[in-house]
Amino acid sequence: MSMNEPLDAPFDGCSIAPPDILIQVAERGRTREDRDAATRTLAASTALRARRSLVRQMIRQNLASVASLLPTSTGEQNTVYDVAGGGSQQLPGTRERGQGDPSSDDIAVNQAWEGADETYRFYSDILGRNSVDDRGMELVSSVHYGSDFDNAFWNGTQMVYGDGSGRIFVKGGLTAAIDVIAHELTHGVTQYTAGLEYSSQPGALNESFSDVFGSIVKQRALGQTVDQADWLIGGGILGGAFTKNKTALRSMKAPGTANDFDQQPSNMSEYVDLPDDDDPRHDHGGVHINSGIPNHAFYRVAMTLGGNSWDRAGKIWFQALTKILQGDSDFHAAAEATVDAAAELFLDSGEESDAVQQAWKEVGVL
Amino acid sequence: MGLMKVSVVRGGGVSGLVTVTTVDSQTLSPDDAKTLSRMVEEADAFGEPDVAATHDAGPDEFQVSVTLEDGTRHHTVTTAERDLPSRLRSLVDWVSSAPGRTEEVGPPGTS
Repeated sequence: MSMNEPLDAPFDGCSIAPPDILIQVAERGRTREDRDAATRTLAASTALRARRSLVRQMIRQNLASVASLLPTSTGEQNTVYDVAGGGSQQLPGTRERGQGDPSSDDIAVNQAWEGADETYRFYSDILGRNSVDDRGMELVSSVHYGSDFDNAFWNGTQMVYGDGSGRIFVKGGLTAAIDVIAHELTHGVTQYTAGLEYSSQPGALNESFSDVFGSIVKQRALGQTVDQADWLIGGGILGGAFTKNKTALRSMKAPGTANDFDQQPSNMSEYVDLPDDDDPRHDHGGVHINSGIPNHAFYRVAMTLGGNSWDRAGKIWFQALTKILQGDSDFHAAAEATVDAAAELFLDSGEESDAVQQAWKEVGVL
Repeated sequence: MGLMKVSVVRGGGVSGLVTVTTVDSQTLSPDDAKTLSRMVEEADAFGEPDVAATHDAGPDEFQVSVTLEDGTRHHTVTTAERDLPSRLRSLVDWVSSAPGRTEEVGPPGTS
């Protein structure tokens, strides 16, 4: 097929076409309708934005000015890819399971898909939020990243899961934990809302919101009340590096007790003041350590108010994250924001704002 | 035979923990020691800039430091995991699964 001839076959804009075909149709489709449909699909596809080389190609082909064609999706779009041991240049990888597709033979694909689905439906059903960006953005996940890769992360556009090496995480553990999946997706929500900088106190808040909604999504999936919940993040997936205590990555109920190396504080008096520099030992100023303090504040609010964690405590936290907090908000600002959010959401009641105020006092922030 | 020691420090991932993986040619088999030297040379690891970051690490993304010592030279390259140059990534992957490597895990702040 020559690069300059128009394409003769009509383009079915509803099918999920491979990205290279979409670019060809966008450029050379037979009708204006076909070309626009392909361009909209390209523009809306987060998976394609994740492939930077394709984005550069789009810009070269003058397809980048697609803002007027951007759709507002009303439904869930959830897609899982297999990056088959590749690194960031290979993301997202081979498409394995999309919306409406049957289960895969690959357990990691199914777990990543179902976890993203559960998280999407939580945000939509309970909080009225349509995906990470509240505009129906496609949820993209890639599994089998790297080799024996002991991590999962949000790269700004999609979720990425390693397999685990058996040392930090058991093999297959990262996609098995729904709270880890919801934790990563919530980094996306934070990116589109408060934009908490990943550094020192704002970064610890960023981490904490991910743990809070990670735990809430897990509790909802298990149908648990606050009393039934274990309040652990990443429970049961730790590997051989942990020889005595491998309960979980973190505990919101009892920070510092989750595993052999857990040194999370539960109070400002124990805040770990690490420099925010490039040193991997400094964790951007201790964002995963100091998150124990706001985590524990949320736990206390949820336990005081009772019922399900998403009924009131979760809504208060979501209101603060999406309507009040800013990129440089610190713990004190988060305390004030959540007290204000509680008062705004529950206008005729002092019970909620009192519970929030008391919790932040108990962790030494107020 | 030249001495060669390579340490890979990873932190900032979802676990919040810091892992240090080290290989030392003195504790490797002769074949593995040769492989290590060859990979360090192929990666031109001593020639990489100190900070190879082109962007800040994203949430839960690893920050990685690779330190090389060969008796006369000592050099550390620090970068977000996704920005590891591919030849250095091959060295890191080899170190991470080399027989005879040592591995330590600890909380942030461990020096």
